[in-house]
Amino acid sequence: MYNENGNLFEPYQGFIRGNMFQDLYSSFGKVYEIKPMNEQAELLTYIDMLDFACIDLGLYLDIDPDNIQMIQLYNQLREEKKKIKKQYEESYGPLTLASKALEARPWSWDETPWPWEV
Amino acid sequence: MWKYVKKLEYPVNVRHKELTMAKNLLAQYGGPDGEWAAAMRYLNQRFNMPDERGKALLTDIGTEEMAHVEMIATMVKQLMMGASIEELEAAGLNAQYVEHDHALFPVDAAGVPFTATYIETTGDWDADLVSDMAAEKRAKVTYENLMRMTNDPDLLGPLSFLRQREVVHYQRFKELREYYKQKYNKEDQM
Repeated sequence: MYNENGNLFEPYQGFIRGNMFQDLYSSFGKVYEIKPMNEQAELLTYIDMLDFACIDLGLYLDIDPDNIQMIQLYNQLREEKKKIKKQYEESYGPLTLASKALEARPWSWDETPWPWEV
Repeated sequence: MWKYVKKLEYPVNVRHKELTMAKNLLAQYGGPDGEWAAAMRYLNQRFNMPDERGKALLTDIGTEEMAHVEMIATMVKQLMMGASIEELEAAGLNAQYVEHDHALFPVDAAGVPFTATYIETTGDWDADLVSDMAAEKRAKVTYENLMRMTNDPDLLGPLSFLRQREVVHYQRFKELREYYKQKYNKEDQM
């Protein structure tokens, strides 16, 4: 009844399409590459990609909770995301209010740009 | 509870002012099948899902819809940046300017304000999930119409991403409904 999971895109390919599942992908025109403008944007895109893969696999797992392979992949992506997020926050400031980058003075939550202003 | 992540789900960097597209995109901000309506619909309906799978799915999709609200808001804001009164007027955004200046306000593409009736909730999982599937389909059509109205890759990238998310959400709602129909022996009947 549910998707078989041998059918996943690589995280970047899934991210730019908005869909991790090849058999569920519905094309409409071309696929748009993401072109980061600098090093910071490039690292952020990598986080976006891992975040997205977790979101999409998470929705799948909500209704197929016994899929061991998918749970393993989810946790692999989650660990990688945690690592890269830490690296990003050390260089560019906090993404969340749980970040270690908030030890900086002055209060660094105010220092980083808002997403609509980047 | 919710926690904020200071980034978008998918990057948005619109570099051209285009007021007619800003107005068009409001369909997905304050419209009946827009992202605010979707977020509120699922986050409201989740309290009445009959088991853990439904509560999880509606919470997670509802949460993702809030990230989509932020993407649409970013596109509208960036498309309107630096617009003069004359330019707003020429694009039919004079009423927007009079009441809201350059601020965001949840209306649809025709300027009709958001209303709570968009948050369709019946307390019946089958009625709610059928309505959720239909809402995802309608939003997908709206994204396709929006994509036909622009050539700007800065808009087409995020719009194509958002369109595809409707496809995925539709499928997950459909799978949940199939599962519930078996679990609760509900036939497809009125």
